[in-house]
Amino acid sequence: MMLVRALWADLLKIRGKGIWFLIFLGPLGLIAMQSLNYGFRYDYMMRRYATDPWGGLAENVMMFVPIAIYLGMTLVCSLIAGVEHQTSAWKQLLALPISRKAVYGAKLLLAAALLAVSCLLLSAATAVLGLLLGFGTAPPFGMLLRMSFAPYAGALPVLALALWLSVTMRNQSLPVTIGVAAALISPFAPQLGEWFPLSWPLFSFAGALQAAMIAAGIGLGAAIGLLGLAHFHRKDVDEG
Amino acid sequence: MSRFLQMLAVERLKLFRSPVWLLIFVSPLLATAIGMMVNFGTDGSPGDWPTLLAAMSLLHAMLFLPIMAGIFAAVVCRFEHVGGGWKQLLALPVSRPAVYAAKMTAVLGLLAICQLLLLAGLWAAGLVQGVTEPFPWAAVLTRLCASWFACWPIVAMQLGASLGWSSFGIPLALNVSFTVPNMLIVNSAKIAPFYPWAQPLLAMVPTGQGQGFFSSPLPLESVIFAVAGSFLVFAAAGLIYFIKKEV
Repeated sequence: MMLVRALWADLLKIRGKGIWFLIFLGPLGLIAMQSLNYGFRYDYMMRRYATDPWGGLAENVMMFVPIAIYLGMTLVCSLIAGVEHQTSAWKQLLALPISRKAVYGAKLLLAAALLAVSCLLLSAATAVLGLLLGFGTAPPFGMLLRMSFAPYAGALPVLALALWLSVTMRNQSLPVTIGVAAALISPFAPQLGEWFPLSWPLFSFAGALQAAMIAAGIGLGAAIGLLGLAHFHRKDVDEG
Repeated sequence: MSRFLQMLAVERLKLFRSPVWLLIFVSPLLATAIGMMVNFGTDGSPGDWPTLLAAMSLLHAMLFLPIMAGIFAAVVCRFEHVGGGWKQLLALPVSRPAVYAAKMTAVLGLLAICQLLLLAGLWAAGLVQGVTEPFPWAAVLTRLCASWFACWPIVAMQLGASLGWSSFGIPLALNVSFTVPNMLIVNSAKIAPFYPWAQPLLAMVPTGQGQGFFSSPLPLESVIFAVAGSFLVFAAAGLIYFIKKEV
C-alpha cells in the first residue's frame, strides 16, 4: 500500500518537468520520421512492401525503436531522480515514515509505466500512419503491439541500470552519457551477436530467439532492479 | 580580446577540474575498436585508409560527434546552472559576448581534441590491420577538419538551448531528435546536403556522385547553406538571447 501511495506522490512530482513531453516526443518523432520516409518515396516504398505493407512499416519503425527506447529510459530516469537531487529532497523524503524499498520501487515502477505509455502510443500512432498511407487492410494490432513491447522487454536491463545510476549519483552527466552511448551503439549491436544485451531489443522482435530474448530482458532487468533496491536500502544519505 | 582569453582560461579550469572532460575519449575509443575489428572483404587484402576511415566514421561522425557537441554544450553551461552560478559569473566585470564566445570555444576545443584522438585511433587501427599503403595525411586531415567545422552550427544551436534550459534532458532530447534521423537522411542525395546534422558524416565519408576520397570534402551548397548559414543563424540567435537573458 505504501508503494502505491509513493507512486502517486511521484506521479505528482514529475508534473512540469518535461517528462510527459518526452513520453509523447519519442513515439510521435519516430512516426514523423517514417511519414517523411514514406512521403518522399511513397511509390517506391509501397512497391517494395506490396505483399505486406504493415510488416514493411513495422520493419522501418523498428529500426529506430531500440535507440528511442534506450534514450527515453535514460532521460526519464535521470529526470525522475533529478526531481529529488535538484531540491536536495532525499534527506527529507527518507526522513518520512516510508520504507526505502517503497521509495525506490515507486520510482522504478513509475519509470517503467511511463515508458510503457510511450510504447502504447507508438503502436497506436503506427496504426494511424498506416491507415493514412492507405494500406487498405485493418491494422494488425497484435503485431503492432509486439513491435513496441517486445523491444521494451528486451531493454528493461537498461531501465533498471539507468534508474540505479541516476538515483545514486548527484551529477547526472555520467548516467546520461552511459545511457546515450548505449542508445547510439544499439543500432550496431546486433552485429555483435545475441549475447550482447544491447542487441536484445531488436532480437526480441526479429530473429529466431524472440521469446528467449524477452525472457532474458525481463530477467536481467529484474535482477538489476533488485540489486539497485538492495543498494539503495543500505546507502547513506550523504548528498546534501 | 584579453577579456575573452581570461574567460577561456576560466572555462578551461572549470572543465578540467570535473571529470566530464574524459567523455572526449568515448567515441574515438569505440571507433578505434570498430576499426581494429572491421573486415575488409573476403579476399584477405590488407585494406586501405579510405575504407578504414569510413568504417570508423559511421558511428563517430553520424551519431557521436553531433551528440557530443550537445553534451559538451550542456556541460559548459551546467557549472553555472548549478547553485546560482550565472548570477555570480555575470556580476563580475565580464562582457556577455566574451562569456558566450569562451563557452563556444571551449566546446569546439573539446571536439577538436576528439578529432585528433580519432586521427590517432585511425593510425593505430591501420597498424593493427596491417594497412601497407602510405598514410594519406592531406586527405585525412582535410576530412577531419571539415567534419569539425561541420559541427559548428550544431554547437551553436545546442549552446543556445543549454543556456535557455537548466535541465540536462531537454537540450539533449532536442539534439538527439535531430541527430537520429541522420540514419535515414544520409541515404538521400537530395536532402542530405542541406541537413546540418548530417554534415559531419558527409565531410568524413564521400557519398555523392563523382566525389572521390581525395576531392573536396563537402559540396559547395552544403558549405553555404547547411554549415555557414545555419551557424550564423544559430550563433546570432543564441548570442542575442544570452545578452538579453535575465539571470
